[in-house]
Amino acid sequence: MEGCRLSGGGREAVRYGTKELMTTVLRLLLGGVFLYAGITKIAAPTVFAGSLAAYKILPYFGNYLVASILPWVEALCGLLLIAGYRVKAAVSLIIALNIVFMAALASTIIRGLDIDCGCFRQGGEKTSAWTALLRDVAFLITAVVVMTGTKTKEKKFF
Amino acid sequence: MRLFNKSLLVEMALICLLAAVLGFAWNHQLLYNAWTGKATATSPTRNAPVAQGGVPLPAGLMQVKEFYDRKEAVFVDARDGTAFAASHIIGALSLPLGETEVKLPQFKAKVPQTTLLVVYCNGYDCHDSMDLGKKLLLAGYRTVFVFEGGYPEWKDAGYPVEGGKP
Repeated sequence: MEGCRLSGGGREAVRYGTKELMTTVLRLLLGGVFLYAGITKIAAPTVFAGSLAAYKILPYFGNYLVASILPWVEALCGLLLIAGYRVKAAVSLIIALNIVFMAALASTIIRGLDIDCGCFRQGGEKTSAWTALLRDVAFLITAVVVMTGTKTKEKKFF
Repeated sequence: MRLFNKSLLVEMALICLLAAVLGFAWNHQLLYNAWTGKATATSPTRNAPVAQGGVPLPAGLMQVKEFYDRKEAVFVDARDGTAFAASHIIGALSLPLGETEVKLPQFKAKVPQTTLLVVYCNGYDCHDSMDLGKKLLLAGYRTVFVFEGGYPEWKDAGYPVEGGKP
């Protein structure tokens, strides 16, 4: 009986270890994707502003304002995920950003706008809204998995 | 379990604040130009190679109208001669994509390479304006925008159009 309990505990430990490993891998992947997305936009803010203008949601200056700040949010969240520091805050922001991106993409589909999503490298091959939307769904699911699989061990700021 | 506690929200706000500080510091010249309505790819020097790298900059209706009102840009119509003759944005020059080899030398003689160009065609489904924009960049023009909404969006907005000869 004792042996059975021990092997059961062992299986539990393996299951827990596998879940933690999967969360870590997904966290690093998600972090890498957002760091890359941020850096490519930081390198070309004017072109990203043009991509935002094509969505026809923001006013003229709003496109430049968002193009100046949003890539830094993405890059910082990516860095924090890779570093494993303040993961819950970073992944919560990524979830929020993804919801906003998906709403913007859905609006272009509804309005019949055939534009490049402007998600990664600016001015490259055109990515349709449907492709970008499906990709964002995948990112959102990944982010939720990372969020639920991350244990808070860090000291709170406040 | 509460999804967002106070500490988490504060951390998220701090990340956004840091991003805003970095974004303002990195793009202060671009933001100043945008605020004063002068933002183009040539204003911040580090952005110029993006335009010169062979990819025109996309521009929305609002931005294009501002160029038009301030007479800051030359509008280039990439549609064929018949469509241009029927109607086009007032003041636009015709340079159909299929005739660039013949007409580009004349165009270059007429329009200096420092001129800001806005290329358009038949809207979001038409890619001639993007292709023509790339050709114009290769021909030495420094700042080329593609108005992706094109002639249909301009006309639908009630902005001035005219009929003319190609």
